[in-house]
Parts: sequence; structure tokens; C-alpha cells
Amino acid sequence: MEFAGWALADLGVLFGAGAAVITLLYLLRMRRRQVVVPFAALWDQVTRESETRRLWRKLRRLISWLIQLILLALICLAIGDPRPETWLREPKTTAIVIDTSASMAARGDDEGRTRLDLALERARGEIETLGPADRILIITAGSEVEVPAPLGGESGSLLRALDEHVAAGPGEADLTRALLLARNALEGRSDPRILILTDGALDEAGVAAVDRCVARSDEEQVGEAGCAVMVVGQDLAEPVGNVAITAFAARRYPLDRDKVEVLVEVQNLGSNPASFELQVSAGDLPVGTKMIELAPGERRREVLPKLEAARETLIAQLAANPEDPNSAAALGPAIDDRAWAVVPPLDPMDIVLVTDGTNLFTEAALLILDDYVRLTTLTPEQGSPDHEAIVEADVVFYDVGGNPLPKPLPATNLVVFDPWRFLDSDFPIRKLRDLRSPRLSEQVRDHELLTGVVFKDVNMLGATSFDLDPGDLALVSHLGEPITVLREGDHSLLAIGFDPRGSDLPLRTAYPLLIANAVDYFGRREAGFVAAVPIGASRELALADLGIHGDDVTRLEVTPPDPNPNDDETPKLQRVRAQDGRFRLRALDPGVYRIEVMDGEATGTLVEIAVNQANTAASNLVSRLDPDALGDQAVATAPPEAAPLTESPLWTLILLAAIGLIGLEWATYHRRKTV
Amino acid sequence: MALLDRIGVRKPARKLSAEQANLFDDEFLRQLELLQVIARRLLRGRQRAERKTRKVGSGLEFADRREYSPGDDIRNVDWNVLARLNQTLVRLFEEDEDLPLRIVIDVSDSMQTKTGEKLIYAQKIAAALAYVGLAGLDRVGLTAMSGKVHETLPAIRGKNRIFRVFDFLRNAKRGGPTNIYTGCKRVAAESSLPGVTVVISDFYDLEGAFDGLNLLRFRKHEVVAIQVLDPIEANPEDTGLRGDVSLVDIEGGATRDVTLSASLLEAYAEAHERFCKTLENKCKARGMPFFRASITEPFDDLVLRIFRMGGVLR
Repeated sequence: MEFAGWALADLGVLFGAGAAVITLLYLLRMRRRQVVVPFAALWDQVTRESETRRLWRKLRRLISWLIQLILLALICLAIGDPRPETWLREPKTTAIVIDTSASMAARGDDEGRTRLDLALERARGEIETLGPADRILIITAGSEVEVPAPLGGESGSLLRALDEHVAAGPGEADLTRALLLARNALEGRSDPRILILTDGALDEAGVAAVDRCVARSDEEQVGEAGCAVMVVGQDLAEPVGNVAITAFAARRYPLDRDKVEVLVEVQNLGSNPASFELQVSAGDLPVGTKMIELAPGERRREVLPKLEAARETLIAQLAANPEDPNSAAALGPAIDDRAWAVVPPLDPMDIVLVTDGTNLFTEAALLILDDYVRLTTLTPEQGSPDHEAIVEADVVFYDVGGNPLPKPLPATNLVVFDPWRFLDSDFPIRKLRDLRSPRLSEQVRDHELLTGVVFKDVNMLGATSFDLDPGDLALVSHLGEPITVLREGDHSLLAIGFDPRGSDLPLRTAYPLLIANAVDYFGRREAGFVAAVPIGASRELALADLGIHGDDVTRLEVTPPDPNPNDDETPKLQRVRAQDGRFRLRALDPGVYRIEVMDGEATGTLVEIAVNQANTAASNLVSRLDPDALGDQAVATAPPEAAPLTESPLWTLILLAAIGLIGLEWATYHRRKTV
Repeated sequence: MALLDRIGVRKPARKLSAEQANLFDDEFLRQLELLQVIARRLLRGRQRAERKTRKVGSGLEFADRREYSPGDDIRNVDWNVLARLNQTLVRLFEEDEDLPLRIVIDVSDSMQTKTGEKLIYAQKIAAALAYVGLAGLDRVGLTAMSGKVHETLPAIRGKNRIFRVFDFLRNAKRGGPTNIYTGCKRVAAESSLPGVTVVISDFYDLEGAFDGLNLLRFRKHEVVAIQVLDPIEANPEDTGLRGDVSLVDIEGGATRDVTLSASLLEAYAEAHERFCKTLENKCKARGMPFFRASITEPFDDLVLRIFRMGGVLR
């Protein structure tokens, strides 16, 4: 403690003189005013008091005198303007970078506090050590970098900013930008220092940013900010489990648009097995559930087929298994247990039928699918792979009768009848041999292509059996010789080894069913799921991916999801610029974003897009920072010792104490009421 | 300053104040005359100096009998009783005599707080009673008493002697502590002929007030007690005095440091009232008329109240 005002010797003289005056005044005050009474004996009776009271009365005067001396001492002290030595050091400037990524919402200690709670506690400790000239800047690094409290020395507003504006959000911590901002803000400041409060569960970029920060501080350049890292929430007796939805998408069936097929990818990022229930709902209506058990580290893709869902938006939710007491703990933070998906619009499939016109049954079977397909009929001469319709086609049916197949075959999904009519055919599935009047004795009944199709008692003149390669699937066979074969690949190929003109199959109901099954099967194979957009402050998206065609679009309006639908606040509309068919989406909250085109040919077009965390790195709760590699200097521990008082100057507090003492003395000792 | 005077903060001046010097002026005399006329009406029908005392003696009216004792006048022996009952009794007769009225006035320091209003008030009462007594041809004597002073004006008779009463009251020594018992004891010793004894005092004597009055009664005096009170002294709450003070007894003695609070002042007022009430009850229980007089009450009203009650003069 040092005196910035009067010297101690001067204060001593002042106190001595003041004490003498006070003592003199007190001695004078001890002489009570005399009141003459005529009946002292009665007064004696009334005022008779106990020894204790008498002693207290005497003590009270002494205490009052001491209080006055204490008051004088306080005033002298205030005149001296005392300041702790820690206040006289060079002021510190600290940037506290707090990781607010999703993993910070995980349990951080055995008392149930989150990692963010621990980080905030450490930040509060740092703020409470503020000296009068020290300054602190608070930066949060989530999906977006924010500054809840600008550089300041008023601890109240800093603590308030911590309490009100720092919360864990979805996504990964953007430490690269946060540390860059911190370093720029500290440039030119006295004794700069960056304090990173994180759980260490960072992505590659985050780890690299921390390493760079530490490395620069190790260079010890003049004015370079020191970098200290504190890893919180990794000292648990029981490791924290976490199961995350890492992918979620849905699509409609091409031929059954009231039903959707849902793809969910879940991953157990914890070290214990996890048992939970996957719930899929459309709006508030549950449409599908499934119990899932995952081994530690296991990732699984689950497809929930044929869910009844009329809505375009689906929500996947992981719920604890009520029969497993460890289930809730294994699920970990809830932020990655929920995901959204928008069912993409399903355009009619482009189907090309190459036929010589002699088999109207095939064309008729495709025409009844008119609501779902766009049929183009070509002659065998037009059936070359470079034909515009075939290039765009989702499925090409070759029913060319006596005409040869094109060479080569187009690179798309193909359904080919009687491919080995000509020996010089280039058909990729080799011919085994010709069969006369074969009987379709075996068929794979549970394959989707043959759903509802019965080949029993189908008559035909002849057929060709195929020589299967590994991976080929014989759907229909004659005494073990495959006649109908499915080959999966980048493009699927269904080879039917007979000409329908030479059989009675077209006359049966099995034929249109087979055609429809083939369209549906290939359609579902090609009409892929639309992946959700991962959370991020600036995600570049193509309008075409959203089904919006037009490079002339320059203005979009984006309506983010409402994080709290129950309150009165509506999400703030974002106006976004688009250029060359691309735009950047500010996707900070998971949910469904509505995008409306405001100009160009597609004006008024409204699409929805799902935004999910879907980030394994963000859901991974294990620290990737190695304290040993960071070095002792870079590892922050407990906050420095707090300054005795955080408010300045100290003399005002001393004067306040003196005033308080006067008030106390006045209230407890009523001398001043004397008339 | 006036407040301090009123509550007695300052010591009273021992010199005769101007008010006391002009105490018995012509106006006062006129008041006394009027008072005497009114008193005469109240006492109408009774002859002068015809008060029947309890003393038995040479009167004509038979009063009682008692056992004969050696020295009794043999002429008063009731021979009839002796003959019938063989008991020697003497007949007693009431003796008619004029009323000896002794007015005892307390001149202690406690009566002289502030400007001595209580003493002045007591002097006026004493003068009024004496005037009415003298006008009724009674023998009136005065005594000024305190723990230090004891002066006596021997019994006088005749209305024109009132000025001696005034002089006595004006010039009698004063001061000293209140000591009712000692004063009464001396009065009783001095009075060869007990009569009506009016004691005018504030009776601020915890132990001796009643004992003194009772002693007079025991000595055959018909005691009348008049307590003169200052309302401010009886209830000091109205003074507004608060805080740390040293209480100084006007009659001397040790000072007492107290912190005056509203509750303490209230307690004093209650104790004072209790003291006065106790004294009054004790006196009345023993047949001693007791009057409480506030100095704010006109003295002539008090005197008439005394006469209406009876017992003082006849």
C-alpha cells in the first residue's frame, strides 16, 4: 500500500492535531448540563439503574470518543489517497476468447456444471482481478465471432456481458477469426495478453489457430500479445458421452409421393455404448421411431422407409431409452441430438423408351405412369447415347425387337430386353447360352424390382441366360440359369433375356408392374437425398442446388428459423445478395430457412433448406489440445490474485466508510437529540 | 432563557424578589376581604369563638364520664353513679374556647424552584387563611419551617393583626432542605393548645411527609394538608428536556448523571403522581383533609374550596 496523496508523516501530524482537538472537545462535552430539580429523591427512584447499564453508559462515552478518532483516522487515510501496489504496475490488456461451440454445452465437472460454466467462472475470476487501469475484451468464438463486451475496465459491465451474452451455440468454434480479432484489438496496448478458454474439442482449423497463437507469443516480440490457453471440462472422473446426428435427409418415393424415405446418420462419439431411440416427426406428428444401439465410436446410417409424411419438413430427434438408465448420459449435449430435413421437390423422371413400335405393351405400361414420368419415345436409330433425350434421361428402356442395340450403350440406368439377339452385341453382361421354351422356375420374390410380379407359368419361345459377374443379381432364372439380371454400379442395368413379343408376359399384370417397379427402383436410386447445410456464419450455396434456375437472380430474402416459437419475437429477415447463381447463407441456428427470390425470372420462388450442426468435430467432446505440446507458459491456470479493491479511487470508499460510521454512531447514540 | 427558568435549570435567586415584595398589596387585601365575606356566609349560624373543642373542662354542657383519678375536682364526682353502681366517675363538660389556628408553611428550597412561585402561592394561601381566621376572632399562629429554618409567629387575634402575618410571611427566613417530620415535631412541641394545624408544603419528603402530619394528628391537632404543586415539576415531559444532563437537587446533595428520555420522564411523572396519591390516601384514611393545589389554580378558588369542604374554620 502506498500513499499517492499526503505523506505518512504529514498524515501523522494531522491525525495528532485532530485527535487532540477531538479529545479536548470530548472532555468539554463530558461536562453535562445541570438541571435543578426539586425532588431529587424521586428522581433517584426512577433513574435507578443496574450496574451493567451504568458500565455500558460509561463505556459508551469511551466508544464514542474512539469512533471519532477512527473517523479522523479514516479521513486522514483518505487524504493520503492510498493505493495498492498492484495498482501501480503497468496496466494489463487482456482479450478473453471464450469457446462457445456446441461441445461447451457438455457436462464439465462432476457437479453437473457445463464446460461453458467453468469457462465463465474462469473469466469472472480474471475480471475480478482488474486493476484500475487494466482493460479486458471479451470475444466469443462460436459459429460466428462476437464481441459481447468491448475493451473496458468496468468490471460490472464485463460481468454483465458474460452473464447475458455468452451462451453455447451450435457449430464449431471459429477460433481462427476470434484470435485474429483479439490480436488486432490488442495491438499497441500495454502488456497485451490473450486468454483462450476452451474445452479443446476443436476442429483442425481451431487447433491450428491455437497453435499459431501460442507460437507467436513464444517469439516474445515487443508488443506481441501473450497467449494462454485453459482447457476446461476434461478432468472428469466419468468421461462424457455424446451421440450426434451427423446427417439427416429425406426424399419422396417417385411413384408414391405421400411417403418419404428418411436417411439418418448417427455417431456415438463417447467411450461407452449408447442405447437410444431415433424419432422422426413431421411437424408435431411422429412418423417413425427406431431403437438404436451403438458401440463406442460407431457410426451408423439408418434408412427409415415409407414413412407417412405429407409435410415438407421433418425433424429427427434422439431420445433417451427409458429402459437404459445410462442412455441420457450417453446422448450428451442436446444440441446435436436434433436435426431438420426438407423433403426436396420431386420432378417427374425423364424416361426414354427406344422401341421399334411393335410392342405397345411397354409404352402403355410407361404411359400409365404419366404423373410421375416424362416419357420420350425414340426409334432404334435415334437410340444412340449422344441423343439429347438419352443424355438427360434417368432411365432408358431398350425394347428394339429386331434392331441392334447401340454401341456403346448410354451411361445411364438401362432396362434392356433381349440384349443378345445379335451375337455381336456389346452388352456388358455376357451371354451364357440360348434357351428354348424356358420355364421361369426361380425368382427373388423379396426384391423391390419384383414386388407384386409373378413369373409363374409365363410362356416364351426362347430366351438367353446370362453369365454373371460377381455382384450381379439373378432376379429370375430357368433351372438355375439367370434370365433376368440386375447389375448395380454407377448406373444400374436390368437385363431381361427374352423378347416380350415372344412371350405372354405382356398380357399379364406382372408386366406393367415390372415396368413400374423398374422406374421406381431406378428413380429412387437416382433421386438423391438433399443434404442439409452445415451451420456456419457464411455458407456458400448454389441456387441451382435449391431448384432455382436463373443466373439473373441478385436479391434473396432469407427467413431464419425461430429459435423460440413461443415468444413474440420473430426472426430477423436477412437480405442476401446473389451473384452468378450463388449466394452466402448466414446459418447460425439449426432449423429450416426459407429463401425467397426477389428478382429475376424466378421472382417469388420460395424454397426451404435445412440447416443442421451435422459436424462430427463440433460434436466430439474430446480435447484435441495437448497441454504438454503447448508448454507451461501457454497453459493458463487459476486467475491472478485479486486486487484488494476493484473500484478506484480508494479514498472515496474510505470516505464512504467514514460516513457510514457517522450514521451508525448517530443511530445508536442519541446525543445529538439533546435539547 | 425563560424556558430554563421555568424548568428550574438555573438556581433561584435568594434575594427577595419584587413579586414577593409586593405580594400583600392593596389588591391582595381587597381579595382577602372579599374572601372573608364569602367565608362568613359559608360559616353562617355559628357564634364567634364558640367552637367546641374536645377538651373537657368548665363548660356547662355535659360531655362524658370517666374514671376518677386523684387530683380531679371532687365537685365533678357523679354521686348518683357512685351510689347505684359503686363506681367513682367524674362528669366531664365540654369547654367552649376560641379556635387556635396554626398555619405551617414550608419554606424549603424545593418550594423556591424557578422564581419561587410555589412559595408565593403557599404564602397567599397562608395569608388568606390567617385573614379569615383573624376576622373570625380565632387565634392564628404561623410557622415557617424547613430542615434549616424554624420561625414562629405566636398566636395573635384580631383582624387588624393581619399585617403582622404579612410581615412574618414576607420576612421569615427561607431555604434548607424539606423536612416535614422535624418541622411538625417542633410545631407539636411548641403548641400547648392543639387546634387546627394547616400544613402548606409540596411535601417533597419521601420518608417524613406523612410521618410529620401523623405526628401532629397524634398530638391532638386537627391537621389539614395542602400540597402545592407546580405542574411542570409534576410532569416534566412538557419541558421538552432530553439527553444527557446532571440532575442537581435544589436542596443540595449529590448530582446524578442521567440520560433523559421520553420514557424516563413519563416514568417520573407516574412516580410523582403515585407519591402524591399515596400521601393523599394516607391522610384521608386518618381523617386529615388533604388538598392538592396547582399553582396555576387561583389561590382564592383553592381557599373557598377548602372552606366548602369544611373542617378548617367554623
